[in-house]
Amino acid sequence: MSTIELRQVEKKFGDLHAVKPLDLTIQDGEFIVLLGPSGCGKTTTLRMISGLETVSGGTIWLNGRNVTWLHPSARDIAFVFQFYALYPHLTVWRNIAFPLQAQGESRETVDKRVTEVAQLLRIEHLLGAHPGQLSGGDQQRVALARALVRRPAAFLMDEPLGALDADFRESMRSEIKRLHVLQHATTVYVTHDQIEAMAMGDRIVVMSEAAIQQIGTPSDVYNDPSNLFVARFIGSPGMNLVPGKYADRVVQMAGLDNRYAVPQGWHTALNKGLDGGSDIVVGFRPEAAQINDRGSLVGKVYASEMQGSSAVLHLTINENEIIHIRTDRLIPYPIDTLIHFDINPQMVRFFNPKTEAAIKPEVAQ
Amino acid sequence: MSASESQFSGPNLKVRQRHLSNRAIVNLFIWPTLILLIAMNVFPLFYSLYLGFTNYSAIAGKAPVWVAFQNFSRILNDKNLWTYFATTGRYALMSVSLQVLVGFGLAMLVREKFKGGGILTTLILIPMMISPVVVGLFWKLMYNPTFGFFDPLIGFANPSKAPDWLASRFAGQPVPGLALLAVVIVDVWMWAPFVMLLVLSGLKAIPDYLYEAAAVDRASSWFQFWRITLPQVAPLLLIAVLFRTIEAFKSFDLVMGMTGGGPGVQTELISVDLYRIAFLGQFRTGYGSALAYIILIIIIAISNLYIKYLNQSKGEG
Amino acid sequence: MASFEETGPRTPVVEPTRVDKVHPRAKLGKSFRVILTLIVTFIMIIPVLVMIMTAFKSRADIVTPPPKVLFHPTLEGFLYLFTDRSLFSPSNLEAARANPGNLDYWQKLALSVGQKINGPSDYVGRLKNSVIIAGTSTILSVILGLFAAYAFSRFKIAGKDDLLFFILSTRMLPGVVVTIPLFLLYKQLGWNDTHIGMIILYTVFNLSFSVWLLKGFIDEIPIEYEEAALVDGYTRLQAFFKIVLPQAVNGIAATTVFCLIFAWNEYAFALMLTSQKARTAPPSIATMLGSGGLEWSAIAAGSLGFLIPVAIVTFVLRDYLLRGVTFGAVRK
Repeated sequence: MSTIELRQVEKKFGDLHAVKPLDLTIQDGEFIVLLGPSGCGKTTTLRMISGLETVSGGTIWLNGRNVTWLHPSARDIAFVFQFYALYPHLTVWRNIAFPLQAQGESRETVDKRVTEVAQLLRIEHLLGAHPGQLSGGDQQRVALARALVRRPAAFLMDEPLGALDADFRESMRSEIKRLHVLQHATTVYVTHDQIEAMAMGDRIVVMSEAAIQQIGTPSDVYNDPSNLFVARFIGSPGMNLVPGKYADRVVQMAGLDNRYAVPQGWHTALNKGLDGGSDIVVGFRPEAAQINDRGSLVGKVYASEMQGSSAVLHLTINENEIIHIRTDRLIPYPIDTLIHFDINPQMVRFFNPKTEAAIKPEVAQ
Repeated sequence: MSASESQFSGPNLKVRQRHLSNRAIVNLFIWPTLILLIAMNVFPLFYSLYLGFTNYSAIAGKAPVWVAFQNFSRILNDKNLWTYFATTGRYALMSVSLQVLVGFGLAMLVREKFKGGGILTTLILIPMMISPVVVGLFWKLMYNPTFGFFDPLIGFANPSKAPDWLASRFAGQPVPGLALLAVVIVDVWMWAPFVMLLVLSGLKAIPDYLYEAAAVDRASSWFQFWRITLPQVAPLLLIAVLFRTIEAFKSFDLVMGMTGGGPGVQTELISVDLYRIAFLGQFRTGYGSALAYIILIIIIAISNLYIKYLNQSKGEG
Repeated sequence: MASFEETGPRTPVVEPTRVDKVHPRAKLGKSFRVILTLIVTFIMIIPVLVMIMTAFKSRADIVTPPPKVLFHPTLEGFLYLFTDRSLFSPSNLEAARANPGNLDYWQKLALSVGQKINGPSDYVGRLKNSVIIAGTSTILSVILGLFAAYAFSRFKIAGKDDLLFFILSTRMLPGVVVTIPLFLLYKQLGWNDTHIGMIILYTVFNLSFSVWLLKGFIDEIPIEYEEAALVDGYTRLQAFFKIVLPQAVNGIAATTVFCLIFAWNEYAFALMLTSQKARTAPPSIATMLGSGGLEWSAIAAGSLGFLIPVAIVTFVLRDYLLRGVTFGAVRK
């Protein structure tokens, strides 16, 4: 059991920052997800923790021990790779036994531990096969087994489900979560899939452009994104972000005659947050829109999408902006219908377009 | 669609009728090659099989006379030939194993990139591209006991106390096997780079993440070498061994350039002897053909053995 | 002293690499490896260097023990290689030395060793033979190989794998096995010691190689290009010439050079099937005799004619070398 701490850790490739100096503390037994689009530095961060990548600055602490310049093998971590990285010429049994045999464990110990972990992952019947003969899901199970068999201080997982088919993904997702609950081992998990992040993480670290954008629980990053990037990136579709001009407790949205009266409790915060400017971005999740004939906002149906349990309407609210709102799947809305709606006052958020940062309300909602 | 339209819908559509069918193209394209190969390889193969059962001599001016298995039985009872076969086997075994060792070592050396490494690799590869007979001459000069570079370079300054490699003598005393070793050294010099090239390609094909996985799995370099590197390169190593073994049995140019089989018959490889039987002196064409066939059968047997083994190891992988 | 594990490297690491790879021990290991590679490479090319040196040594320098590394360079070797000379009688020699007249460089060089140039040596003719035979046979085997390779790459052919294996196996035959019957066949046809005989022999010798190598290259050209061309109304042949050939140019060039080198280096067939008229350079260089044994300076000078092209080719083709030496079986 262990904690992981990154202090001002950064990685430069030449003059380019792959990871800007960042601080991160991971608690014992915590499941942390590093989430971000490709090239945001999340994998590099994970690899720095493992020692598969050197840092250009800062220090990494594992369980209070400075491991920054330790060999990967001296860190007592296990790494699960995106493409499993199974040894293709070895059988499943020998793959799982590899870390134990590398340590010169006795034949009995190896036998016992491999059998244990194979039972845990329900892959006993595969032990004699070669990795090439297995499905992607089974290969990933073997890779997990190889990581688990060592009982390492921490697990590092680099998009372990990225190479799997959609249905495999979901079952493996719950399997990894189950293992985490059983083992209660500190885990750092990298993914670009925000649904995966939401489903698995105790906390999510959202990264973009080589820097941390927000650290928080899944509900934090969903409900209270700290900036425009997080708002856009989390959720499918992401948060609606409509630019406008703020004056006199009213946001005048660009284009159509859409005036939005700012709910109570935001006024002083907006005055402060906008720094005297009037440009503002109004943000709300698709499910925050409430269709209502007397709603103060209006949009024209551009397209509608069945999503199974609900439907998503694409509305044009001016020449440039398309917003998404979640509606009842049973009511059809023909194209070009005018829709009136309001925003749930609990679920509206505001951003300063210059700094891109979220504006915090003066009182807790 | 009208005819005039069709002209605009693509180049030369109007000559479609004159198109060659795929069948015709295939025939046109592969038969010249096949005919040449059949005429120059298959026909001679059968012809020499026939000759192997006759007492024909190319210079005697007499028609071949059928002697059934006489040639084959004489070959199998000829002690000298068995000696040459044994010499060839020893030569193959020594060359191939040394080539694998040296070639593997070279590959491990130049495996990781460094500045100028590419040029060094290219320089190492030059020997295998040179004409074997020229290589033989190079080394004949190197091995020369009075003015060659080889002895001084390995520490024998005084010619009278140095090995005379190609004469199989050391400090004036005959040392049998020295000449064969000399030929082996040259063969290794020439072909270890070939093994290096193959091993290098095998090494390059090992994905980095296997070593990363091994690093976090706490495997030592030694453990990584035995558990990852070697098994991953093994199939290519096997190809190298197959190629080189076959070549050793065909080996002719190098020995001709260096020793001509001497001293005595110490480096008389079977191919060299075949040349002697079939072309020099008596032109014993029939006898030579029979011997040629025996060599061919040995080569085919070795190849099959390897291919079988290769397929087996592939099936496991 | 603080260890690397505590303090890290002195300068920040700004390239992608593993922690253990920047460890001082790893860096030391790398320097050691580089130096070892340099030494090994040097050892590997010593015979080549010796040959190059020998080509520019005088006859006296070559045969004096111990072998000389420093010497006065001369072109004597090339004189012996390319010219047919005769000795001056002592009286004529003095006369010639007293009154050199308008001698060119080579004549002067010959005079300095007491000889007179009578004309070009046999070797010049044999080099010419080598050029003609290697050149023509290479062109033929690449053209034939290209057609066959295309057909094998793109069409369904009954027993394709067997045919390809047959083609490959012809190259595995020991040369001497096919030489005996070919010798007899050529005798019937009157082709022994003729250019045409050698050209056809070398064409076939290289054909299996060129089919295999070129098939590998053509396999890599996406078939979609041709299909698009066929849909656009090109004929198969047009598609072959206009789409496939331009894209296979690198492969064709590499194959050509390999064939050329093989034919240029070939020794066994030439030794057995030629004697005078069509004899190529490799068998004759081995028998370059001077007064009292092998004429080493001439042999070394002649070897340069094999060494230099090979060095250039190795350098130019280094990326294709692996394919070349394994018949395209191993690609990367």
